[in-house]
Amino acid sequence: MSNLWLVARREIAIRARTRSFVVGLLVTAVMVAGVSFLPRLFGGPDSFTVGLVGSAALEPAVKTLAQDVTVTFRRFPDEAAARAAVTEGDVDAAVVDNRSLLADGEVQQSLGALLKSGHQVVQTEERLRAAGLDPAKVAEATRVPPLQEVSVSAASGDAGVRAGVATVVVLALFFLLMSSVMQVAMGVVEEKGSRIVELLLTSIRPWQLLGGKIVGLGVLGLVNLVVVIVAGLGSALAAGLVADLPPGMAGIVAGAVVWFLLGYAFFAAMAGSLGALVSRQEEVSSVLTPMMTLMMAAYFVAFFAVAQPTATLARVLSLIPPFSSMVMPVRMAATEVPLWEVALAAVLMVLAVVGVLLLGARIYRRAVLRTGARVGLGEVLRNG
Amino acid sequence: MLEAQGLRKRYGAKDALRDVSLSLRQGEMFGFVGANGAGKTTTMRIIMGVLEADEGEVRWQGRPLSFDDRRGFGYMPEERGLYQKMKVGEQIDYFGRLHGLTPAASAAATGELIERLGIAERRNDRVEALSLGNQQRVQLAVALVHRPTVLILDEPFSGLDPIAVDALAEVLAERRSAGVPVIFSSHQLELVERMCDSVGIISAGRMVAAGPVEEVRAREGRRTLKVVVRDAVPGWADGLPGTLTTEGDRQTLTVTEGDDQSVLGAAVRAGRVEHFGWEQPTLTEIFREAVA
Ligand SMILES: Nc1ncnc2c1ncn2[C@@H]1O[C@H](COP(=O)(O)OP(=O)(O)OP(=O)(O)O)[C@@H](O)[C@H]1O
Ligand SMILES: [Mg+2]
Repeated sequence: MSNLWLVARREIAIRARTRSFVVGLLVTAVMVAGVSFLPRLFGGPDSFTVGLVGSAALEPAVKTLAQDVTVTFRRFPDEAAARAAVTEGDVDAAVVDNRSLLADGEVQQSLGALLKSGHQVVQTEERLRAAGLDPAKVAEATRVPPLQEVSVSAASGDAGVRAGVATVVVLALFFLLMSSVMQVAMGVVEEKGSRIVELLLTSIRPWQLLGGKIVGLGVLGLVNLVVVIVAGLGSALAAGLVADLPPGMAGIVAGAVVWFLLGYAFFAAMAGSLGALVSRQEEVSSVLTPMMTLMMAAYFVAFFAVAQPTATLARVLSLIPPFSSMVMPVRMAATEVPLWEVALAAVLMVLAVVGVLLLGARIYRRAVLRTGARVGLGEVLRNG
Repeated sequence: MLEAQGLRKRYGAKDALRDVSLSLRQGEMFGFVGANGAGKTTTMRIIMGVLEADEGEVRWQGRPLSFDDRRGFGYMPEERGLYQKMKVGEQIDYFGRLHGLTPAASAAATGELIERLGIAERRNDRVEALSLGNQQRVQLAVALVHRPTVLILDEPFSGLDPIAVDALAEVLAERRSAGVPVIFSSHQLELVERMCDSVGIISAGRMVAAGPVEEVRAREGRRTLKVVVRDAVPGWADGLPGTLTTEGDRQTLTVTEGDDQSVLGAAVRAGRVEHFGWEQPTLTEIFREAVA
C-alpha cells in the first residue's frame, strides 16, 4: 500500500507544480464564477435613476414598491431639462408632473412597470383623498400585499434555479472527468513509451503503479471539483443569487463529489488499462475512442436529464453504470429523487467500479510491458 | 547464490533462448557477452521477472526467486527509462523510496551516489536537459541507490566516457567486495576481461562457454605459438605447420599445434629470432571462435 501512496504522491507533486495545472484551476474558477453571474447580466440592471419634474409624491410610492431594485430620483426644474437628461442618458427615464413618462426610446420593462404602478397608487390615493376620504384609511387601503407565489408541483418551485445548478453539475463533472481520465491514459503511455515501466515493475506491483496513478490524479481532479464548487457557491453568494439556491444544496454538492469519484474510478481504470495497450502518445486518442464515446453518451443523457429529470430514459439510465455517475447527480440537482433509487444506483456503480478495477488491473499487467505495436485487447484478455 | 537453470524462450517460431544456465556466487562478477541478438537481454529480463521464461527457473539462495527478492535487486534495463521531466535528485530518491528505503536513507544514498557518479551539479536539472552519457549515469544511480543485493546491468558501460567508466568500475568493484553478485553484459570485451571473475559467452540462445575467465581461456581458446624472425632466408618455413606473414624484413609464423622446439630450431637457422613464445588467447579471440 505504501508504494501506491508513493506513486500517488509523485503524480500530485509533479503535476501540481506545472503551470498548466495552476492556470487550469484559475481558468475553471473564473469560468464558473462567470456562469454564476450570468443570470444577473441577463436579468438586466438592478438600479435606476429617474428624473422628476413637479410633484414628488411618486418617490415614496415607488420606493415602497421596489423590492429587488433600487431607484434613485433626481429633480429637474422643467420638462426641457428632464428631456435633456434623458437624451444624455443621465437618467433612465423621467416623470413630468405625474402626467408623462419620458424615455430614450422605450422605457426598460421592469422600470416602466414599477413607475406605472407607483403612478397608479399615487393617483388613486390623491383622488380618494380629494373625494373626502380619511387619508389614513386611504393609505391603508392602498397598501395591498403582493401576490405570494406558491408552487403546486413536487419540485419546490425553483425549477429554473435547479436546472441551472444541474447544468453546472453536468458541465463540471463531464469536463473534469474527461481531463482527469485523459491524464491517466497519457501517464500510463508516458511510462510505457519511455520504458521506465520495466524498471518500475521490478520494485512495485502493476496494481500499485496503476492504482497510485489513479489515486494521485483523482486527488487533483477532486481539488479541481472543489475549486468549481467553491467558486460557484462563492460567486453565487457574491452575486446575491444564494437566496435563490434550492434548499438541498449541501446534498447536491455532496452528491456531485461522490458521483464524481465513482465515475472517475470507473473511467480512470478503463483509460489506464486501454492506455497500456499502446506505446505512443499519438495512439492514445484512438485507443480511447470507445470509452470516450461512452462518456459522451452519458453526457448527452445527463444534459437531457437536466431538462426532463423525470423522463423514463433519465430515470432508467440514472440507475445503470456508468451512465449513473453523470445522470444521477444531475437528477438529484434537478428534482427530488427517491432515496431507494439513489441507493440502488450507488450500489450498482460501486460494483461496476470494482469490476472495472479488477479487469483493468489485469489488462494493464499483461499489456504494459509489451512495447512496440499496439496490443490487441482480445489477445490480452484471452491469454492465461 | 543466484542461479538460472535451463531457460528457454520462444518468440513465435524463433528460439530466443534455447537452454541457458548460469550461476553466480556471492561477490562474483559475471561478464555476459555475445553477438547482437544472441539472447543476453532476454536472459536478464527473465531473471528480473520482466519477461516470463517458457521453461526453466531462476533461484536465489537456493529457492525460487520471488518478487520481494527481486525488489532488493538493482536493474539497469537495456532500454533506458527515466522520467524525463523529473529532476535528477528527485528521481534517484524516488526509486530509493520505491525500493523500500526510508526517506532519510534514500536522501543520503542519493547524495552519495550523485557525488560518486559525477552528477552532483546536475542534481536539480531535469533529466531531459542532460546529455545521453549523463542520463546514463542517472540510470546507474537509480539501479544502485538501494544498495542492491544483486546487480543485473544490461550494457552499463555503453555510452560512458572513460572517466565515467572508471567511476562505474570502481562502484561495481566495491559492491562486489561487499559480497554482491554482479552480472553485466557488454560488447567491450577487454573491459569484461579486466573486471570479471567469470564470463558467459552466449550464441544464438545457447551458452557456449561459461566459467572463470582463466578456465574459459584454457578450455576454449587454443594457445598460439608466435615466432618473429628478421632477415630470414626465403622458404625457411616450408614444411612447418602454421601461417606465415611478412611485413618488411620481418616474418611472423603463427602455429597452433606442433612441436615448438623444432619450430624454434628452424627459426634460429633461418635468421635473427626477435620473438618466440606461446600466447594466451584474448577474450576477443575466444569470442570470435565461439560464435563463428
Ligand atoms: N519482443 C520480441 N519479439 C520477437 N523477438 C524478440 C523479441 N525480443 C527479442 N527477440 C529476439 O530474441 C533474440 C534475443 O534478443 P536479445 O535482445 O536478448 O539479444 P541481445 O543478446 O541482448 O542482443 P544485443 O547485443 O543486440 O542487445 C533476438 O533474435 C531477438 O530478435
Ligand atoms: Mg541486449
